[in-house]
Amino acid sequence: MRFIVCVKEVPESIDVKIDLKTNKLQEEGISTTLNPFDQFILEEALKLKKDEDEIIAISVGTPQTKMVLMKCLALGADKAILLSDNVFMGSDSFATAYTLSKVINKIGDFNIIFCGQQTVDGNTAQVGPELAAQLKIPQVTYVESVDKFEGQKLVVKSQTDEGFKIVESQIPVLLAGIPPSSFTPSLPPLRNIIAAQNKPCIIWNFEDLGGPKDKYGSAGSLIQIIKVYYPPPRKKGIVIVEEPTTAVEKLIELLNKDKVI
Amino acid sequence: MELKFTEEQEMFRESVREFCQRKITPVALEMEKTREISIEIKKGMAELGLLGCTASPEYGGSGLDAVSAGVIGEELARADPTGSIPVFYLVQAAWGFVLNKYGTEEAKEEVFPKVIAGEYFLGIATTESDAGSDVGGTRTMIKKEGDGYIVNGEKMYISGVREAAEGGGGHLTIAKQNPELGTRGMTMFYLPLTADGITPTYIDDLGREGISCGGFAIDNVRIPKYYIIGEENKGFYIVHEGYEFARGLIAVICAAAGLKSLENGMNYIKERKCFGTAIGKFEEINFRLAEHYTRLNMLRDLAYKSLWTIDREQQGKGSRFETSKAIAMAKMFASDWACNAINDVMQWQGAFGYSKECPDQAAWRAIRSFALAEGSKEMMKMIVARELLGKEFIAYK
Repeated sequence: MRFIVCVKEVPESIDVKIDLKTNKLQEEGISTTLNPFDQFILEEALKLKKDEDEIIAISVGTPQTKMVLMKCLALGADKAILLSDNVFMGSDSFATAYTLSKVINKIGDFNIIFCGQQTVDGNTAQVGPELAAQLKIPQVTYVESVDKFEGQKLVVKSQTDEGFKIVESQIPVLLAGIPPSSFTPSLPPLRNIIAAQNKPCIIWNFEDLGGPKDKYGSAGSLIQIIKVYYPPPRKKGIVIVEEPTTAVEKLIELLNKDKVI
Repeated sequence: MELKFTEEQEMFRESVREFCQRKITPVALEMEKTREISIEIKKGMAELGLLGCTASPEYGGSGLDAVSAGVIGEELARADPTGSIPVFYLVQAAWGFVLNKYGTEEAKEEVFPKVIAGEYFLGIATTESDAGSDVGGTRTMIKKEGDGYIVNGEKMYISGVREAAEGGGGHLTIAKQNPELGTRGMTMFYLPLTADGITPTYIDDLGREGISCGGFAIDNVRIPKYYIIGEENKGFYIVHEGYEFARGLIAVICAAAGLKSLENGMNYIKERKCFGTAIGKFEEINFRLAEHYTRLNMLRDLAYKSLWTIDREQQGKGSRFETSKAIAMAKMFASDWACNAINDVMQWQGAFGYSKECPDQAAWRAIRSFALAEGSKEMMKMIVARELLGKEFIAYK
């Protein structure tokens, strides 16, 4: 069996600044990590993996993205492929899914594609479903666990607004995973980090994937970002420091004045 | 010139930092009362491969170099203000390095798997009541008898006595085999603290409460030949390689503890107001912050450079004396500079800084020990001066 896990490098903290001139996140100097949704689904893939199976982690990013792929290798993936090229820059979820589909087609045979349900930076939850559509395979989203995997069938538990549902699917299939609240990400031990340095981590560019250039990156994106801006700062609040009775009276007076009540 | 950690070292740091945030920081101050490192933490450290991390992979270790071992020590020091876990870690990393390099196959196969699994503690026991940094003053004796050796004497102010005596494991120890040869007649060996003839005693240290400190009497203790570390009568030289590994780690740990304390202090002085303004605006405070921050980063750089000299020496690219000097320079002011910074952070926090609820007080008590542990700061000055002026300027010769 061959499992392909799609991962993304994301900012470690939500406290990131926006470059108002370029409409992009200021990436310089911020520490990044493996998208937690992706780590969860990688660990689900690892649970299914038998000795003869292969897990390939793939990501679209900058050369720095290699660090998150190395983490995937340290966690147990067998091989990693980084798609890095200026042509891929500015991709929206659609163009990202296209790029991933190209690399998956180039890899060849596969049995299950694993994606995080969403990323903690973009939060679109679109790449997995769009990738499944491009690969023309079925998909199950909001997957919390893979409960059974035998032969060509698997059974997964998928979260819904009301609770969860149990879904049975044939393979090949794409699973988009969301961690249950009980999930604690594994930490790779030192020996696995050392072993990861000897696992293949390949970098492919546009030339390696081929196809029309205007399908990739910002040219191939359906979404064009016109402007990114901070919400206007909130006005300074009013603090009433009085005895409770007086404070309530003053509060009512202010609310009346502003026609709130 | 490129000053950066390798990809692998950055990954070590990320993994250890996450472990520390989950398992150590939330409970670290509890060690002041429990006076032990919890089994859960030891188990977690073992699973991550932090214990005996310098042992070669064939014995179950990760074969870490000195700089990589420093990265781990730095993260542990940031997480545990009591300094207990950094000591528990550094002793086993540094003396694991010596056992790995000079120990016999039998000793390594016997000791390392249990150290790495967190079942055994591997320590260092050279200090005696009248011999600390002056290792030549050792009175403990070792003599050959039959196919083994008999050891008699006493060791004092040793870290991890309870851990090894009750939990299993032992200490690399030094004794005089041929007293007439002075330092050239000393032999190093592994001494299990569960052996017949060992009687432990305990000392109530000022800090580092999670790891025990004590001594032990050695009364006719018999050890097998394969416990000898390196060649007989070469112990004095071998022991200094371990000291230097440990001193480099200590320098990194001091810098990390000091910088972590400054972070605590910065958070406080930005919020705390006096005369209606944040106290961080007062130059008496923010100039001191700037000075401590600069000094501790100088220390951090020097500490990592000193560990790098160890790695260079192991690769055959540097000399023993270059390493000794670099390490002594790094450790010389490590405790003083970190303690001064932590002391100011305690001062900025007013009465809270003097309370047991303040983590910085625990850090001050822990870091103070490193002006003495693994070679006093005075001894570090002596080493640097000796390397600069030559052996003929050593005062005691």
